[in-house]
Amino acid sequence: MVEQVATLPSSREFNPWPVVVFTCLLVLAGLFLAPTIGVILSSIKTTREIAEGGLWNIPTRLFLGNFVEVLANPAVHRYFLNTLLVTLPATAASIALGVLAGYVFAKLPFWGSNLIFLVLISGMFFPPQVILIPLFQFFNSLGLIDTLWPIIFIHTALGIPICTLLMRNFFATVPNSLREAAILEGANEFQVLTRVALPLSLPALAVLATLQFTWIWNDFLWPLIFTQSDEKRTIMVGIVNLKGQYSVAWGVQGALSLVASLPTLIVFLFFQRYFIKGMTMGAVKG
Amino acid sequence: MLCLRFSKIVLISLLGFFGFVSASSASEVTISHYFSDEFGKENMGKVFSRFEAATGNTMKESPVGHEDFKTDILVRGASDSLPDVFSYWAGARVQFVVDSGDLSPIDDMWARDGLDGIVAKAVADSATLYNGARYLIPMQYHYAGMFYNKKVMADAGITEMPTDWEGFMELCETLKGMGIAPIALGSKFRWPAQFWFDYLILNTAGPEIRAGVMDGSIAYDSDEVMAAVGIWMDMVNNGYFAANSNADTWTDASDKVSNGEAAMTLMGTWITGYWNGNGLTPGEDYDFFPFPTINADAPVSVVGPIDGLVVSANVQNKEGAEAFLSFFVSDVDNQIEWTKAVGAVSANVNVDPSVYNELIQRVISTVDGASNFAFNYDLATPPPVAEVGLSMFQELMESPDDYGAILSRAQDSAQSAFAQ
Amino acid sequence: MEKTAWIWRVVFLAAPITVFSILVLWPLFSSFFYSFTNWNGFNPNYRFVGFDNYVKIWTDRLFLNAIINTFVWMVAAILLPTLLGLGFALLIDSNVPGGKVFKSIFYLPICLSAVVVGQIWTWIYQPDWGLLNTLINFFLAEPINYPWLAKPDTSLGSVIIAWSWQQTGLSMVIYLAGLTSISEELLEVCEIEGTSTWQKIRLVLVPLLTPATVVVIALSVINSLKGFDILYIMTGGGPFHSSDTLAMHMYNESFKKYMMGYGSAISVVLFLLALIIIGIYFRELRRLDEIYG
Repeated sequence: MVEQVATLPSSREFNPWPVVVFTCLLVLAGLFLAPTIGVILSSIKTTREIAEGGLWNIPTRLFLGNFVEVLANPAVHRYFLNTLLVTLPATAASIALGVLAGYVFAKLPFWGSNLIFLVLISGMFFPPQVILIPLFQFFNSLGLIDTLWPIIFIHTALGIPICTLLMRNFFATVPNSLREAAILEGANEFQVLTRVALPLSLPALAVLATLQFTWIWNDFLWPLIFTQSDEKRTIMVGIVNLKGQYSVAWGVQGALSLVASLPTLIVFLFFQRYFIKGMTMGAVKG
Repeated sequence: MLCLRFSKIVLISLLGFFGFVSASSASEVTISHYFSDEFGKENMGKVFSRFEAATGNTMKESPVGHEDFKTDILVRGASDSLPDVFSYWAGARVQFVVDSGDLSPIDDMWARDGLDGIVAKAVADSATLYNGARYLIPMQYHYAGMFYNKKVMADAGITEMPTDWEGFMELCETLKGMGIAPIALGSKFRWPAQFWFDYLILNTAGPEIRAGVMDGSIAYDSDEVMAAVGIWMDMVNNGYFAANSNADTWTDASDKVSNGEAAMTLMGTWITGYWNGNGLTPGEDYDFFPFPTINADAPVSVVGPIDGLVVSANVQNKEGAEAFLSFFVSDVDNQIEWTKAVGAVSANVNVDPSVYNELIQRVISTVDGASNFAFNYDLATPPPVAEVGLSMFQELMESPDDYGAILSRAQDSAQSAFAQ
Repeated sequence: MEKTAWIWRVVFLAAPITVFSILVLWPLFSSFFYSFTNWNGFNPNYRFVGFDNYVKIWTDRLFLNAIINTFVWMVAAILLPTLLGLGFALLIDSNVPGGKVFKSIFYLPICLSAVVVGQIWTWIYQPDWGLLNTLINFFLAEPINYPWLAKPDTSLGSVIIAWSWQQTGLSMVIYLAGLTSISEELLEVCEIEGTSTWQKIRLVLVPLLTPATVVVIALSVINSLKGFDILYIMTGGGPFHSSDTLAMHMYNESFKKYMMGYGSAISVVLFLLALIIIGIYFRELRRLDEIYG
């Protein structure tokens, strides 16, 4: 025991590890950034520069024309607006439904509730193409094709499993005694949920908001099938359409990709702190 | 079914709650098409405004890229909510949709507007008739030929383009000796390879055998097909094709020809639209020659696709839809502008060939001089079979030595696809 | 008490279960129904063919190929991001300067959509001027122009790497969260007690990171089953089916070959496979609860 302590390195001695770790991280970060840098490089070059110098060369001067072209395109504004109109309500609705279901499974379990929970969770595990045609027939019979409604409804439904799973796990960590105390004071379950459980669950909500926002924003398949006119397209379908329009203008394509990815990045940076906290407190504890 | 009805009621009441109202205009003609690139969209837009100005109808378009278009039409067909009009490929694909009861015949309009006297008879017979009724109007037709870079050929000392196979092989050998890839092929999305398969079978075994391969009566591993593919594979083994064909798209391959890395490519006339758009001059920078003769006894065949417009069975505005089809093919000015823009040829007999550039005029005389116009592979054979063959072409380009095994495997898969 | 509890259960569960049943469960059952027909997608006059479609699966060469690829895809697309994410998390957790910046860099790809990621990586793998071959040729005397996505040997692997690049950030963030829950004091206690590094890993790190791993794996499984988009964009399952997964195969048979009945049978098999995976997952979860609960 005494010998062990004696051999421990004193903190004043040179410790090479931080330097090694830092160098490792630097190299890895370089590798990880390379693809993104490629897009950034392409987005600040003219088509001619790309044709002559290739995609990966560092340009001699900054060319912002591609971004101007993208941002000045009224179609891009419309795509952004449509995507927001889908993403915000679908994110909110799926989280709301997940909160309700998760609360029952965590705090009001009943005979067979585990089975229902399992069936809900199983919804996360299959590819969306399986339900594509029945859903199209369904929304078509409602006359909702070429509106944003089907996409909002579908993303709400497809988000229920993951939201229920995470919320159930999170609510399970809220002590039962808190709920019982509130009920003794005359609160009903809805008040317990909104005044006791939810305020404690803000980090979990941040996690779900980030994940759902990112997934719905980036989705391609549902808007592709359910919207037909250009006025109803979302940004990812729009990118693919515009790609056809700028088939040789790679710089514009790069700028488009960057602009389209910006909102998800902003959402992550905004929720980042709560995100980590949410993962630590609830989700990670399984 | 009960479940569906119940869920409908729930959703409708939900929607009522949100104050959602659905409305659609009656005088509108809805159309889906796959001319979704900048070029196609712009020219379709011009067609629409010409039509709207001439008739007072309004068009509501939904352009979708080629591959996504196929899925989109299928999903909408499954739900009886096809657009009034959509573009589709004449041949087995339209036949498939006709057999499924998803299209409206247009015989009445055809007779009323006298399209018999307007649409070239060869095209009308091969592309518009399905199960004895008219279903389609041809937007234009394309022809697949050997498009080459004039400067590369001139630098290699070649002024006369070959007409027979020996001459063609010599040409390839000369180019290869100079360090230039003789032939570019972009088979990443599979279909560009089909023209080789089509022309080689047509020019060795003839149109009847080829028709047999398309309808399943002749096997992919029959002697005739083996022999034709064998010629192709020898060329691959000789290094006549530029490397990495499976990594290139058709525009990549076209670029390789236009920038001199390769000398020629077997492609449809739409390549002229692409090259002209990039600032090349037909007849000066590039030219074409017909696929060389292999078997002098085989009748002269040309291969190409016909894009058509069809009217769906669930059409909302039948009058407007038929008016659009009729206008598209009959209006001479519209046909000239459209076909010139996309680099194709009009099937309207009233369009004077002299409106086209000299190269397209030679395309027209090549097609007129042929005794057989064949749809290319993926339009000539049923879609489930075409899927098998298109993947087979990629596999052939990857492992030319195994073509015997590849063809017999394809035959197994094709057989079960035909049975479907 | 019990009676009011039931009222709340019904009130709370009504909306989620209704929406889920209409938009997910019911469509699933209808694809189950179509799997017993020869429907081609267009033609309303289909007929029942019994178990024909399921029998056909056993003789379908491409189905076997797709099963193997799905297995490879699932294992690699789960292991790679998980291990890389853990590694990055451990490195960042050691209090290096700029930890926050590194974290954001590694997370960045998650924000990009499959459409964008597919495009970037297609540029990287481009044979003539792509970044990968350019880098390789930097070290080679004889330049190569290997088409990574167009060769059957490397197409699937190349997409898996692009996928891992995108997904690593998510597992890293979750592991970082798990690591912060391991208190400094605990590690100091180990230090004083003279625990060897190996013991420290086995007795402290592994048990404390297990819950994070459970979440990481769950999210990876979900995401990797969704990995259709990126395959569709980068290779479309090609060249000649070398990167076909079950989802891709189902898509090809249904939408390209117009065999909706057969495609539905494939999706039923896919659904059953998913159920088995969920079953295993939950069994393991319960076992872990008993050990570390």
